[in-house]
Amino acid sequence: MPAVSIDTFFACSLMVMLVLSAMAVTTTFLRPHMNTTDGDSSQRLYRELSKYLLLSEGMPSNWGQNGQTIPETFGLARSNAECPYELDGDKVSRLNDENFYAISYAEAFTSLEAPDTFFKIEIKPLFDVKIRLDTTFDSNNDTIYQFEISTERNGVPISTQMRIFTIAEAYLKATSASATNGETMQNVTIPDTVDGPALLAVIARSAYNDRIMSFNACAFAHSSAEPNLKGTFLKLSPLNHSLTASFSTSGIDLTNAYALTLNHEFQLEQMSNTSESTTYEIPKILDSGPTILVLTGTNSTRSFIEWTAYPQIPVEMGADFVDSHALSDVFSFTYLITIDSIIYDCTVWLGGPA
Amino acid sequence: MRNENAGQIRIIEAVFAVFVIFSAFAVTANLPAAQNTSRSDNLSSVGLQVLMKLDSDGSLGRNLDQGHWTVLRECLTLAIPAGISFNMTVYDEQMHEVNTAVISNGGFGSQEVSFTEYVCASRDLTLNCYAIHLYLAVTQ
Repeated sequence: MPAVSIDTFFACSLMVMLVLSAMAVTTTFLRPHMNTTDGDSSQRLYRELSKYLLLSEGMPSNWGQNGQTIPETFGLARSNAECPYELDGDKVSRLNDENFYAISYAEAFTSLEAPDTFFKIEIKPLFDVKIRLDTTFDSNNDTIYQFEISTERNGVPISTQMRIFTIAEAYLKATSASATNGETMQNVTIPDTVDGPALLAVIARSAYNDRIMSFNACAFAHSSAEPNLKGTFLKLSPLNHSLTASFSTSGIDLTNAYALTLNHEFQLEQMSNTSESTTYEIPKILDSGPTILVLTGTNSTRSFIEWTAYPQIPVEMGADFVDSHALSDVFSFTYLITIDSIIYDCTVWLGGPA
Repeated sequence: MRNENAGQIRIIEAVFAVFVIFSAFAVTANLPAAQNTSRSDNLSSVGLQVLMKLDSDGSLGRNLDQGHWTVLRECLTLAIPAGISFNMTVYDEQMHEVNTAVISNGGFGSQEVSFTEYVCASRDLTLNCYAIHLYLAVTQ
């Protein structure tokens, strides 16, 4: 075969490959930017799917209450909800990876039964409570801690009424305060005879709407070393009005357990105790709102204080869309949802492969 | 001899060109596809949902009855997502404007403005009906 024929053959093949590849690459790059009915329909599809997540109960409908149950179909709505977007506190708690009985994203993805659809759910209070330890004073037999507590939404101060709890071992003191301009300074006095560490817990309610609430807590050293990070000693899992405290290290001895709400504070009653965990009963109260659960104890070397909220909010669960390069379109949908009559902010992100 | 060499060189050229082009495709194929994260809140549905939530326990009608316009503005500020401006007007059954103060959180600088109409009935012994016009706009 003459060299010219081989030359021509190669040149033609090259041109054909070049044209086909150029078409393929152009289509791949332009597709996400094309404003076609495809994009509109996928947005509509994802919107309906986000509503389905929040309006359906899932199967079984009480999958949130039993920590061993993996839902066959995914849905967060409360059974027999009185109004739309009313979620089940236990189902939401099981999305939180701090909970021992949390379902994994893989399990949620499978039970959603929507292949090629990745999702993320975030549920948080409508405003933030920020606590900052300002200064510490020594008194005769006490130590006074001055805290700056602020309530804000996206940097805008929120006027609130709040209940402030100081807890250290068997010491529990509750006071009321208001932050009319979204900020208050609070002095907390703890006797030196009380062993630490201590915790300052705040439950705040909007001055304008009883159903908009938020909370936070801050552990601090009092006659003790600096407190460890949350979850170092215990994994707290509140579900179905019982709190399971799973021991993260050996030699744990729990001393006190409290439930704190806006209007009440209780000492929790122990239901069962094993070498790996202890279970407490969370009292059912008529007042709606989040409950802060606090446990104090010691391990072989030091004292500790751990806390969580019931329902276990804020929670963020699902796919990491920020680092995902394989997705072309991600849609976010914001909803106001209620859990136990309290209004929270819920954002659902949904996306699919390019 | 010279012609034969020319043919061989062209073949080498072609092979080299194919290699270069396929390398370019291999590299571009691994580049991340443009990710388009869009906030798809339908403003109208956001407005309707906020009003329904505030009305679900009767507090919306109660505040309208008592003329608590500041309370309504603060509730809307908390409930409406960040980055959205609102302006609410309340009318009675005869479509007379009821609110004596502005219920808004700022100016509308956006071209994307949505309108939501919501009818609210108070839960008092005397039944009062209100028509609420809520305008929402994405803040620029």
